[in-house]
Parts: sequence; C-alpha cells; structure tokens
Amino acid sequence: MTALPTGILLPESVIHSDLFALLAAFVAIHTVFYATLALSKILPKVYLSDWVRRRHERTETRSINPEDPV
Amino acid sequence: MRRRNLHRLVGVFIAVAVAAAAALLWLAIVIQGPEVAEPSARHIVVGIWDVLYDAEAPSLWVILVAVAFALLLAAGVALLERRISNSSRRSAGRVTVPLAPRGIMEATRGTYAGPVTVTVVVPAHNEEASLPSTLESLLHQSHRPERIIVVADNCTDATVELAHRAGVDVFESVGNTKKKAGALNQVLSQILPDQGLNDVVMVMDADTRLDDGFLASAVRRFTEDRALMAVGGLFYGETGHGLIGQFQRNEYVRYAREMQRRRGRVFVLTGTASLFRPTALLTVAEQRGKTIPGRLGDVYDTAALTEDNELTIALKSLGGLMISPADCTVVTELMPSWRTLWAQRLRWQRGALENLGAYGVTPQTVRYWAQQLGIGYGVIALSSYLLLILLTVFALDAWVLFPFWLGVGLLFMLERMITVWKGGWRARLLALTLFPELLFDMFLNVVYVKGIIDISLGRTADWKHVVHAGPRASDEASS
Repeated sequence: MTALPTGILLPESVIHSDLFALLAAFVAIHTVFYATLALSKILPKVYLSDWVRRRHERTETRSINPEDPV
Repeated sequence: MRRRNLHRLVGVFIAVAVAAAAALLWLAIVIQGPEVAEPSARHIVVGIWDVLYDAEAPSLWVILVAVAFALLLAAGVALLERRISNSSRRSAGRVTVPLAPRGIMEATRGTYAGPVTVTVVVPAHNEEASLPSTLESLLHQSHRPERIIVVADNCTDATVELAHRAGVDVFESVGNTKKKAGALNQVLSQILPDQGLNDVVMVMDADTRLDDGFLASAVRRFTEDRALMAVGGLFYGETGHGLIGQFQRNEYVRYAREMQRRRGRVFVLTGTASLFRPTALLTVAEQRGKTIPGRLGDVYDTAALTEDNELTIALKSLGGLMISPADCTVVTELMPSWRTLWAQRLRWQRGALENLGAYGVTPQTVRYWAQQLGIGYGVIALSSYLLLILLTVFALDAWVLFPFWLGVGLLFMLERMITVWKGGWRARLLALTLFPELLFDMFLNVVYVKGIIDISLGRTADWKHVVHAGPRASDEASS
C-alpha cells in the first residue's frame, strides 16, 4: 500500500487540534466498550445458575396431568 | 390525555439521559486532558509497498475503564432481569401478580382439564396474497390445530373467500375502527369464555408461515408445565429482496441467537406467532384499567401501536411465565424497500416508547428502559465514530495504519460474522464487510431519533399497512 494523497477537503492541522484529540479519546473509549460487548457475544455464555446449587428443586409435578411424575 | 403527556416525557427523558451521559464522559476527558496525539507515524516496507503505521493506542486506564464499564453494565442488566423474573416466579401474591406460577399451580393442583388443544386466530386485513401459504403451513403441522379462525377485518379483497376455500372458520369484524387489536378483541371476547384451562389460543399474522414442529413443541411445553402462560415464536426472514432483505435476515438471525443464549427467556412475544393459555388472556382483560393500562375487558390495548410488545409487558407485569423456545420458529415477510422498512421500524420504535410511557418505570419494564437508553446512547457513539473516520480520511494526505484499531476492527468483524453464522454464506459475507451493516444500523438510528422527536413533539403516530402483491411482494405501502 503506497501513501495515497487523500487530504482533499480539510487541512491536516485538523488532526492535531485539541478538539480532534477530544473526539478521538471519546471514540476510543466507546470503541473499547463496544469491543468488550462484542467479545462477550462471541464467547460461549456462562450460566452462573448452573454452577450454584439449586435451592428450589421441584416438589410436585408441573404437568397438566396430576398423575405425571415430578 | 394524561397518557399522551407521559408519552411526550418518555422521549424527552431518554434524549436528556443519553445526552447527559455522553456529556459527562466528554467532560471527564476534558478534565483528564486528552491524550495528545503526537504525529508518530513510521514507515515500514512490506514487499513493494511502503506502509505508514502508527503504534498509537489508548492508555491502559482508558482501556480498563471502558472494559470494566461494559462488563458492569452487561452483568448489571442481566442480574437485575434475572432477579425480577425469579421474584415474580416465586411470588404468591395473588392480587398484584395473579399469573405468578405459585398461584396458578395452587389453583390447578390435582385437576386435569383435558389435553392441550390449539385454536389459531389469524387477523387479516386484505391478505389475499399471503393468506394461502399461512394457512397451508398451519394445516401441514405435525400437530394440526384443532381450530383455525381467520379474522377478516374490513377486507375488500378475496381474503374471506380464500379462507372459506381452505376450509377454515371466518370471523368478520363488525364496525371495528381499532385496527388489528380491535379485531382481535372482538373475536377473543367471543371464543375465550368457552375455552378450557388447556385450550390454548394462538395469535398469528397472516404474512407468516410456521416451520414444521412449532405447534408440537408448544403443545408439549404447555402439557409439561401448567404454570406456563405463553409460548412465543422466533422469527426468521423469508428469502429474497436483495441487500435490504439480507440486512433484515441478519438482524433476525442475531435476535434468534440472542434468545437462545437467554435460554428462551422472552423479550417480546412476537405478534407473528405466539400462543397463550386462556387464563392469561382473561386475566389481562380483567386487569385492564386497574393494574395495567387499557380498557377493562379488552385483551389487546387498542391504544398501543405495537400490540405484541404491549401484551408481553402486560403479562410480565401480572407475573406470567413465558418462553420463546428455539424450536418454535416462524418465517415472516420482510420489508421490501427502504420506505416500507422506515414505516415499520418507526411504528415499532414509537410503539415501544409509548408502551414504556403507559407502564412507567416498574421492575418488569426496567429491561425495556435499559434497551431504549442503550439504543439512544448507541446513536451518539456510532455517529461520533463515523464522524471521526470521515475527518481522518478527509484531513490526512496519506493512509496511516493503526495496528491497535485494526485489531479492534477485526474483533468487530468476527463478532458480526459469528453472530449470523446460521444465516449462511451470504449473511456471513455481508457481516464480514462490516461497514454496510454499520450504515444499516445508522439508518435504524435515524428512525430511532425520528421516533424520539415525534413522540416528544406529540405528533400523532400512524399504523402503516404493507400491501402484499403476491409471492414477489411489491414495494408499495399505503397508510
């Protein structure tokens, strides 16, 4: 990839302005924030309730038929 | 009137809240002092290319704070939602949560009210093009419904004739001016009193087709759990409609994946196809005007623009147990043009906001408020990201590579692709290119902002009806 002339609309000084630095920091925080969420969506989900001993085991059938096993 | 003013406040509240959050972050950066970007681009030679790169990356504290905030927020919302659904599950309070499992279990203990039967109600307003395949998908289910009723609402086409020809019952609405919800209320008020405890009612759109096994799975779940009040479908987009169709299919694939990861915990009982135990619908009708919004005796709140979202919140508010299983899938029609998509999403958006206004902040609506605030904040985040990219592209006279940000971009590409993996290679390819989907998200963001502005200014919302023109749906829409 060669250096392509692209500064067609704005002066390069824009990049070095304080306002641009603020915007870049603002965007950087968001990007890392959303990247973390993206990573959490890729990884297999951990269900905490599977690891914790269940306190509320069923004591009666939930079937519509009262004769069915619990 | 009071309700209308509250609606306006919802828009203002969300706009102010997300703007304030963004302003606070901006202020924090100003106080901390932005990291000064020294021009530190270096050259390396890769083969025949001379590459400019910049090793700049945010400082460790910025990364840690952003990561911690994301994890805290995601975990916080998930834990809160889990806690609220568990507390209503275990609640025995008959008055405030009459549909809570404990109460329902007590009321039905030791009695057998017969096997689960399914009565399907299909609201249809001039659906001659799509109704035949909808009915066909119902009649070919491995568990055939016991009864199908097409609710013909102010039809001027061959809907009624087609329904008769398919051999199903037809109910014609009388003097209905309240659109789909009004027509459904009319038919439900007639059939619900005759339904037994296990005679479930399914409400299904006339532009939807059930995948085989849907009803068998739903019936099994209603049989196994007498406290289960509703089963919702997971919808997939039909084929076709080019790029705009693929954008919507990707969206729906991601939604279905998310539902599976939530282990079927319902977000919205989709209007495309959901089943309800009669007790649930009768209790909603009894509670309207008392503990939940609407008119006493109505199952559906005719003031709601998105009646499926409203009914879900109503059932949650009453403590009802519900699920969207992965094997209950439906294929739904997609919006064929940007204009119809705009109208559909504006209605969804507006409807969601109005429902929140009607219910206010309650434990059951917290998750929905969080979602609206999340989308609102996403508008600011995505806009500022695109602005930064544009400024950089227009102000730099050479391409500079930022390895850190390229890595982050790669992560986003992976996430986009993996989350639509089930959608096939077209879905994966579109997701991998990242920017088209970002622009599609931006389109949805503009719809969101329009919804917030409209509701804040008290502009009346409209119910757009998409006219289907046969298997190859046209891009026409009429209001």
